[in-house]
Amino acid sequence: MKTVEKIVNPVKRAGEESPGKIYNEKLKVRGRREWRGLKDTLYDYSRWLYLISVLGRFIIVPRNVKGFFRYRWMMSYLFVPHGMDKFTIGLRDEALRIAHTSFNFVIADVTQAIANCFRGDRRVGNDKAYSDKCVITDENSMVTFMMGFDKEKVHTILREVPTMFASNIFHQFNVMHYLDIAQQYGIPGDVCPMPEAEAGISIDDDFCVLGCCAVQNNTTCDGSLMGNGIIAKRLEREYGIPTFQLATPLRHKEPDVLEYAAREIKKAIAFVEEHTGEKWDWDRYFAAAKRVNDATRCRIAQLEINSTPYPQFFGAAFSLYNDTNYMGNSGRDPQFVKIDHKLLALAEQGYREKRMYAKEYRHRAIVWGVQPQYIIDQLYWLLQCWGVMPLADMLSIINTDMIADEDTPANREQAYRDMAMLNMEMIMRNHTHGGYKVLLDDLWELCEKMNADMVMMWEHMSCKALTGMHGMFEEQARERGIHIMWVSHDLCDPRVFTRQAIRDQVNTYMRTVMREEPLDPSLEVIPDSEAY
Amino acid sequence: MRDLKHLNYFEKLLQEANNALITQAKKDGKVCVAYTCENVPEPLLNLDGAFSVRLTAPNTGSMDIATYYMTNLLCEPSRALLERAIEGGFNFADCVITPDGCTMMNRAVENMELLKTMGKDNPRFFHEYMEIAFKNTESDVELAVLQCTNHILTPLHEKYGIDVSDEAIRKAVAEHNKLCRLVRAIGEFRKGDKPRITGYEFHVLCLATYVCPSYLVLDKLEETLEELKTREPEEKPWRARVLLVGSEMDDSGFVKLVEECGAFVCCDRFCFGSYPGRVEIELTDDEDALTQVCRHYIQHCQCPRMMNQEKVYGRKQYVAELAKEYGADGIIYEQVKFCDPWAYERTLGSAMLSNDYGYPVLSVDRPYNIASSVGQMRTRVQAFVESIEIKKIQKGGRA
Repeated sequence: MKTVEKIVNPVKRAGEESPGKIYNEKLKVRGRREWRGLKDTLYDYSRWLYLISVLGRFIIVPRNVKGFFRYRWMMSYLFVPHGMDKFTIGLRDEALRIAHTSFNFVIADVTQAIANCFRGDRRVGNDKAYSDKCVITDENSMVTFMMGFDKEKVHTILREVPTMFASNIFHQFNVMHYLDIAQQYGIPGDVCPMPEAEAGISIDDDFCVLGCCAVQNNTTCDGSLMGNGIIAKRLEREYGIPTFQLATPLRHKEPDVLEYAAREIKKAIAFVEEHTGEKWDWDRYFAAAKRVNDATRCRIAQLEINSTPYPQFFGAAFSLYNDTNYMGNSGRDPQFVKIDHKLLALAEQGYREKRMYAKEYRHRAIVWGVQPQYIIDQLYWLLQCWGVMPLADMLSIINTDMIADEDTPANREQAYRDMAMLNMEMIMRNHTHGGYKVLLDDLWELCEKMNADMVMMWEHMSCKALTGMHGMFEEQARERGIHIMWVSHDLCDPRVFTRQAIRDQVNTYMRTVMREEPLDPSLEVIPDSEAY
Repeated sequence: MRDLKHLNYFEKLLQEANNALITQAKKDGKVCVAYTCENVPEPLLNLDGAFSVRLTAPNTGSMDIATYYMTNLLCEPSRALLERAIEGGFNFADCVITPDGCTMMNRAVENMELLKTMGKDNPRFFHEYMEIAFKNTESDVELAVLQCTNHILTPLHEKYGIDVSDEAIRKAVAEHNKLCRLVRAIGEFRKGDKPRITGYEFHVLCLATYVCPSYLVLDKLEETLEELKTREPEEKPWRARVLLVGSEMDDSGFVKLVEECGAFVCCDRFCFGSYPGRVEIELTDDEDALTQVCRHYIQHCQCPRMMNQEKVYGRKQYVAELAKEYGADGIIYEQVKFCDPWAYERTLGSAMLSNDYGYPVLSVDRPYNIASSVGQMRTRVQAFVESIEIKKIQKGGRA
């Protein structure tokens, strides 16, 4: 089997040695904040206060208070600070700053998304003029087709993000109600809970109602494609919101699908123009394209740092930030550029200082598969408890090609193909679909490139695209001498696998297969399965 | 009713994936093109010198090895096919053409390819995967033409020298239409109060046209059609007439079970059934045959993966129209367990056919081989039949 050199951290970590001790089962949150030494605790606390201020600024707006009491899912946002703490276990120095910088920016972005939803919502803000310039899109969708529109005039509302995706990050039980609603309606319990929950929210009529039109996408899987029908029925037939289905080919590596995908992008743009009355602006598009390329370069640089013995930007923060930037932003917002460079500067500094974030790095792991890692602290826990460094995850291994960013007649045609390519290669589907090579071969190539000896394979039991290759992963990992650690879960339904049930699969593997003892035994069992 | 002369013959053909007619066609020197999805245009696989076979796994029992490769969370048809492939049950195939229609079936075939389950002694053997349309626009037709060219016609021509000219496609379509006319004509005998063919018998005949070389079943189908014209129907009326809608139905035992409960399956609308799979393709001389074939498949497609709203609502309307045409009292929406596309389609279809069109609907999931769950399913269907009867009594006639 492949092995990597064990690296022992020569520097004793400041503050808390055993963060597992601060969990409190009764409180459903930690008993107290983690002590990280004076400097880092103060920094961490200042960021905690910043989050409180973000939430405070949100809730002082009267319509947001109204929305808070109208929508069941809003309750999740009471637990934002606690949610953020899940992703900083044991972190110090640059990694702590990276996690806060990236996550806090995402949280601010989501807060703004909620505020936008409430402003246009027919039941809450009912700002009709604003709503008439809003375009609703799916949660797990690229918004490349909005890159050429003025974001101050045409508002892209990823309505499902605050309602389902983000709310679930902060409260693990949040979507259970919607899953139950969907299953009462008749959808079986074996489909992916994410689109099922979204369908459930629609059935429960618990989405904000706004927008002059909506664009749906067959984003990641059959479930996501099919859930759209139920959501569109309510949007179109009940609320009179015209809905366009943006078809995105699955076999995205085949050149013979690109022109079709480009035609679909053109149609989506024409649809938005028709319903918003705004025009596509090529200057705006190419400026956004430059930002997309810049983000790509930053992401590649971060992965290069992670391929060294001293990774800096890792875990859920890395994938969630990429997810937001790559898909939800797609170069439209210049603020992301500043954050990208700030994060890269922090990572470079940490790398120069050879900064480590656990007592030992025993293994280097690629995290593959469809992941619940925003709902659980798994990746940081994996590092602190077992010394397994999560180098990169499937959701962060996205496009590395540059797109045309100079405005020329030829590039205007190329732009449709570029948008189509990005759209086809949106997060998750770029590996779960498109043939087995992008799922299997890409993984082994990544293991080689990142010098990984282990794969932590998230086995989302309702993701048929992943589980359909279970045996092949086993066999090919064996051939390559890679340790493959299966961790089953059911994405956002903690009734199927609790947090500890998820961790226990790692504990069992590390003890029985790897015959190792935990770096920090206080973390092996954490009483947080009932926590928010 | 008196037994159909060739029913037993057709039933036997369905007992094995590698049936006697496949062997005969291979002896005739023809190339066997295996496929797994109704979205593949069948006439393009039946060009002169080739014949199509839809892969099935009759009498499936254990799926242990396939379950190792794909876990028990994938739909049973995909696992059953992989198991059969690993057992060597599909060694007759000279190529496999698979659209990325549903993820699970696609993964099943990818596993077959990776495990090299077929084509060991055939250096010309190939696997091809196709993108298929999501909507019914001309842009999708264009996509389908390109996909069929690149993933069906070109490899068949290059590997096996099959004539893929416009003329050859028109000839294949003509033969396909002959088959469709026969199947549909036989299916017409399901209409009326005293049907001359049962849903089970029809299902056996129809399924055989997919899993056997079609040119070898034509004569028996013609004879059956003639026989039906004079066949005496049962005097005893059925308790209810139901339309069966859902995912692929390789198991005639399911139809038999429904009919044993007193519900006559008067019409079928599932993958590889007669609607829409046995609807004739109309060709004109104004346009090349390939484009017209692709357009036909896209416009008539009732697959749940078609995502534009015209198609989403159109599918329910199509079911309602069939129910009306065939005089169905109720509708059974069925889904193979773990099938994602039909999980949602069944839910929305059941709700809309019941709420918007006023039909009693039974919504069930089922195993691939009904033999493993007869009792439960029988109870569900019996209760449904009784509920239809009660509704009839309450309304003084029709449900």
